[in-house]
Amino acid sequence: MRFILVDRIHELVAGKTIVAEKTLSPEEELFRDHFPGFAVVPGVLLIEMMAQAGGKCLDAESQPRGYAMLAQIRSASFRQWVRPGETARIFATIVVSQPDYATARCHIEVAERTVCSAELMFAFVPAEQFVIGYRDPVLQAYLEGQPATCEANASIGGGKLRCDYRDAEPRA
Amino acid sequence: MDQEQALRWIAEVFEQEPGRLSSSTPRSEVATWDSLGVLTLMAALHEHFGIVMTTDQLTGMKTVGDILEVLQSNGKLA
Repeated sequence: MRFILVDRIHELVAGKTIVAEKTLSPEEELFRDHFPGFAVVPGVLLIEMMAQAGGKCLDAESQPRGYAMLAQIRSASFRQWVRPGETARIFATIVVSQPDYATARCHIEVAERTVCSAELMFAFVPAEQFVIGYRDPVLQAYLEGQPATCEANASIGGGKLRCDYRDAEPRA
Repeated sequence: MDQEQALRWIAEVFEQEPGRLSSSTPRSEVATWDSLGVLTLMAALHEHFGIVMTTDQLTGMKTVGDILEVLQSNGKLA
């Protein structure tokens, strides 16, 4: 399986909040092992969904500090099983965003019931470490569906920096 | 907060046993005082005391006493 654990972004205020979703197909090979006859989405993948969603929220700001990477799981709770084929709705709220680190409070809902929650810490990796021209495909798809002007984006939710992200020149 | 309480707080931040740290404990003897430990300390100082520090400032610290000095200079340590 690809390690893209966010299918699409529904709502995004860069650097502040994000709502996204992910559905794992029952055909995914991992469900053969986790577990035979009792297929459930592994908790580590739920954590990764929240980390990827929170990271996209931070990356949407396009700050020079680089891309957000999960650095610490400060707390995590799992309350309900998530079954193959169920759509996980992922919420993240950025609590602290500093040049060197950020923290986020996250949770996942399935059918409007909270199934897990976590507090995550992120560190940042300089964009130069990534392949030249890298753009997060899920974030990019969301941004391309937004109004074209910075002014229009800003009016959506203080997301002026989203324009900066979209308009950024690829690295030489 | 007195020094004993501050040492307990620092031990908690670095996931160490309470009482294991003293002001003279060098960074090299705190296994979890690595790059993640620096970020954890930075976040904890901000969240608990409103003290904002940079990675460079924190990376320059050599002993637990250096952290106590930060708390003291910010009026958090009696």
